[in-house]
Amino acid sequence: MMPLLAFTRFEVGRLLRSWKFLVVTVGFPVVFYMLFLGDRSPSKVVDGALPWRAYLLVSMCSFGALVASLTAGGARLSAERASGWARQLRVTPIASWSYVVTKVVATMLVVLPVLVLVEAVGVGFGGVHLSAAMWFELSGLLWLSSLPFAFLGVFIGLLVHAETAFPVVTALMFALGYFGGLFVPVASMPHALQVLAHVLPSFHNTALGIALLAGQRPALSHPLVLLGYGAVLALLLLVVHRREESRGLA
Amino acid sequence: MLAAAEIDPPGQDAAPKPLPTSDLALRFSGVEHRYGARVALDQLEMSVPRGETVALLGPNGAGKSTAISLLLGLRRPHAGKVEVLGTTPRRAVSQGRVGAMLQTGTGSGLPPGVRVDAVLRLVRRLYRHPAPFDATVERAGISELLGRQTQRLSGGQAQRVRFAIAIAGDPELVFLDEPTAAMDVSGRRAFWRMIRTYAKEGRTIVFATHHLEEADQNAHRVVVVNHGRVVADGPGATLKATVVARRVRFVCSGADRALLDSLEGVTDVRVNGTGVVIDSLDADATVEALVRHRVRFKDLEVTGAGLEDAFIALTGAEAPREHDR
Repeated sequence: MMPLLAFTRFEVGRLLRSWKFLVVTVGFPVVFYMLFLGDRSPSKVVDGALPWRAYLLVSMCSFGALVASLTAGGARLSAERASGWARQLRVTPIASWSYVVTKVVATMLVVLPVLVLVEAVGVGFGGVHLSAAMWFELSGLLWLSSLPFAFLGVFIGLLVHAETAFPVVTALMFALGYFGGLFVPVASMPHALQVLAHVLPSFHNTALGIALLAGQRPALSHPLVLLGYGAVLALLLLVVHRREESRGLA
Repeated sequence: MLAAAEIDPPGQDAAPKPLPTSDLALRFSGVEHRYGARVALDQLEMSVPRGETVALLGPNGAGKSTAISLLLGLRRPHAGKVEVLGTTPRRAVSQGRVGAMLQTGTGSGLPPGVRVDAVLRLVRRLYRHPAPFDATVERAGISELLGRQTQRLSGGQAQRVRFAIAIAGDPELVFLDEPTAAMDVSGRRAFWRMIRTYAKEGRTIVFATHHLEEADQNAHRVVVVNHGRVVADGPGATLKATVVARRVRFVCSGADRALLDSLEGVTDVRVNGTGVVIDSLDADATVEALVRHRVRFKDLEVTGAGLEDAFIALTGAEAPREHDR
């Protein structure tokens, strides 16, 4: 267990010490929160339930988790594999799966501070006030439900070539953000886009948080779709890892 | 050139005795590996006793890297058996008894965005019984690089750090796959000095190269591989001897080619105007015969034919040059 802990700490440290990573993952959701907020009064309500400032806080937390996950995996991982580092680790005593597992765990660990920072901006700039228990519950819920994002980021890093990983990640980030209703409430979208939103993990991740803040019982579809994404992506990760292993690359 | 004292004398025993498995660092028995239809290793037979430094010499695509991949358990043989330190390659690696510097192409082989010392400390923690940190730093000569970010290292510096990583776990057996690629001449010399010092600690070192000089100067034994087979195996000096022992040159007007051809030891005669070049398996006897037959030679010169010639004769391939890499 010690080697895996050391490896995870190494990865988390590398991510948190990277200015590029922090500027992108914290900068995007925070700047978007400020840009999109507009009317921050509690009377501006969306979906008939939640003030816009709280709604946007939840969706920007989701967006932060998404950006952090895709950036932590994605192009970084792809470049690192191209450099031969992943292969070097393969000839040390740690098991071959530990590379993939550590990447997912490290991604999840850096998502947490990103969520907290975005929430802090929601309090300071947006004036969103929740009880400590509610903050705790919201953070935990959004954090756990971003596991499919972490899988996705690592999957792209393993699958996509270093040069194409960056545009792929950027496109996915904004597609999942926009079509998942993180920038514009889904209810105000045309019908076709609303249907599309319901098959995206980003929509269901946000919806869970919004239901929590609105005091509603979340639709069962939210956790189910997220679990589905998690299971399928975990399986894909396993397949890609096996393929890499047989090629002597993993 | 290297001082002779720095080079370990090649082993002299003429008939190698089969060693018990426990004394072997590695063994290939009838190993085959293919990439699709292309055969990379073809019934490879080879073993290395512990404590030896062995060069795998061959042109690009000869199967050297494939052999190392199999020894590290990164690939599996399609037929035959690979043993490392008396067990399977994968087990030897997971027991932390093996270290390796792999080919990285254009990459540095190091994770970006982190200091050299952090990488080395991480790698040490992956082993149960690593070498002391300071000892590894000193062996690899990287004390002045510890505070650097990995992406700011030159090619040669990155190579030294990768060597430190390869030996951080205090391995019994170290593989180096084309370790001096991307190094300049002085960097290479320093690198091999380091490797020879490390080998003297009793480690087994197997390195792949297509540099003839590197193989000859730094290994006890050179195994020439081509088309996935061992085509020659022995001390560098023996390899040369197996092909052409000596080259005799002199100047002579009106040389009798047929006579020269019939002299003792001669394998080949080339006459170009007044210049004569004779390849001989026994230069002493050949020169004696020249005197006996009263051949009027001037500027006689006897040289050892280069390993380069041995390489060409053995593999039928043009010896690789710098720009091929």
